[in-house]
Amino acid sequence: MTQYIQDPALWALIVGTPLAATAIFRGRKARTQLVNEKTELQNRYTELESNYSASVQDAHTRAEEATKSALKSAMRTLQGLANEQQLAISKTQERYGEHHMLQDLLEIDHMNSQFGRRAQSIAVLCDGWLGRQRTVASVYDVVRSAKGRIRHYTRVEIRSQSNFAVVSRAVEPVALALAELLDNATSYSAPDSPIDITIRTVPKGVCIIIDDAGVGMNEEEKNRADELLSSKRASGVTGLGNPPQFGFAVIGVLAARYGFTVSVDSASPYGGVRAVVLLPEDLLTNMPEPEEPPVVAPSAARGRDEETPADPSTPGGLPKRRRKGSISIVPKADFTPGQGRSSEETASIMGAFQRGTQSGRSANPSREGHDLS
Amino acid sequence: MITPGEQEPEAAPLVRPYVITNGRGLPENDQFNLITLVTASERRPPSHYDPEKLRLLDLCGGGYLSVAEIAGHLGLPIGIVKVLLSDLSSDGYLVTRAPAPPAQLVDVSVLQEVLDGLQARFG
Repeated sequence: MTQYIQDPALWALIVGTPLAATAIFRGRKARTQLVNEKTELQNRYTELESNYSASVQDAHTRAEEATKSALKSAMRTLQGLANEQQLAISKTQERYGEHHMLQDLLEIDHMNSQFGRRAQSIAVLCDGWLGRQRTVASVYDVVRSAKGRIRHYTRVEIRSQSNFAVVSRAVEPVALALAELLDNATSYSAPDSPIDITIRTVPKGVCIIIDDAGVGMNEEEKNRADELLSSKRASGVTGLGNPPQFGFAVIGVLAARYGFTVSVDSASPYGGVRAVVLLPEDLLTNMPEPEEPPVVAPSAARGRDEETPADPSTPGGLPKRRRKGSISIVPKADFTPGQGRSSEETASIMGAFQRGTQSGRSANPSREGHDLS
Repeated sequence: MITPGEQEPEAAPLVRPYVITNGRGLPENDQFNLITLVTASERRPPSHYDPEKLRLLDLCGGGYLSVAEIAGHLGLPIGIVKVLLSDLSSDGYLVTRAPAPPAQLVDVSVLQEVLDGLQARFG
């Protein structure tokens, strides 16, 4: 036993054990602390990270909003100018209607329409002004208006007409959406291939079908178009890509805002894209009654008033609308004399003629005849 | 922004004239001038015709109308109306007539002869 007591190793063991125990204990404690700290740091980091992405998102939204409002007001000015210019061009066209200059004016008018459409499209993406409200217009006129807003409009052929009209608030949006579709159709097809438009009445409303003879779209493009058109993706000005592609984004916003649907997922019989715009019933109305141009109406009415002094009125006391015919300077009745006159009138005219010739024969020729010398 | 009291600016027509003619140039020949008279022929136009053409035929269906009057009624530039008219007349829906020539003054001697003749017969 004593030899053990004198053994320094034993002593070292006796002294070392508690020390080691303490060291181990401390180590464990430190480790736990470190683990805790690590978790805490991790939490902190996650928190910071989410804060960071939130503030980035926030900055992004703010930047988007700022861009939108700046663009919106810029476009408002441009749209106003384009409209003003269109009006001025219209007046000049009237004034020089017979001049050779008309040809050039028509070209300027065309360019101005395209310019106006571009400004409108950007305005739509910025939730801006679409342009002044139009009066009710036939579907055919809305399609023709859309046709006039693209560069290669002569390639667009409208194959059919419809008896429906578009309500006034939807005239501009539908025309703009159609113009964007037509722009795509003409841009992605051969320069001389035609674009066909068919208007078809369906149980749910009216379909406007645009067929091009282009190369069509691949799956990726179709998916992107579908996303934009169904407005699943809120695309702002910043999400248009580089170079920016406005078309489908603009159409998507308009369709969602005004409640019509646009699909581009089918193929056209010519191998290109078939775009179908479905206008629901609440965007449609009956054809507007053709109205007499305001400048002509008063003079025509005045001319008539001499024959019919009082306007007939309805039992409610409102003036009754009379069908206004054209004022012809040479009556057509000359060809078919019996048509326009009643038999009494004809008889009285013939009687007057007879009386005239009789009085001519009985009168003294030297008094009645014209003296030439 | 347009305030309620303010007069809203006049609007340009929805369908632009170049779309109506589909970008065609103005007719070269002078088939129509301001006072050429036109009227609708007996043929009825197909219903899918452009609304402007139908309206034009409707306008001059009642008798002869001058080109200037038609342009006024349709609210279109004269040149555009001429394009429509030349389309319609080549399709046979329109009959044109040259304006009535101004009256020619008859030689006095002819009148004198007529008068002499009448006096010899009835005088």
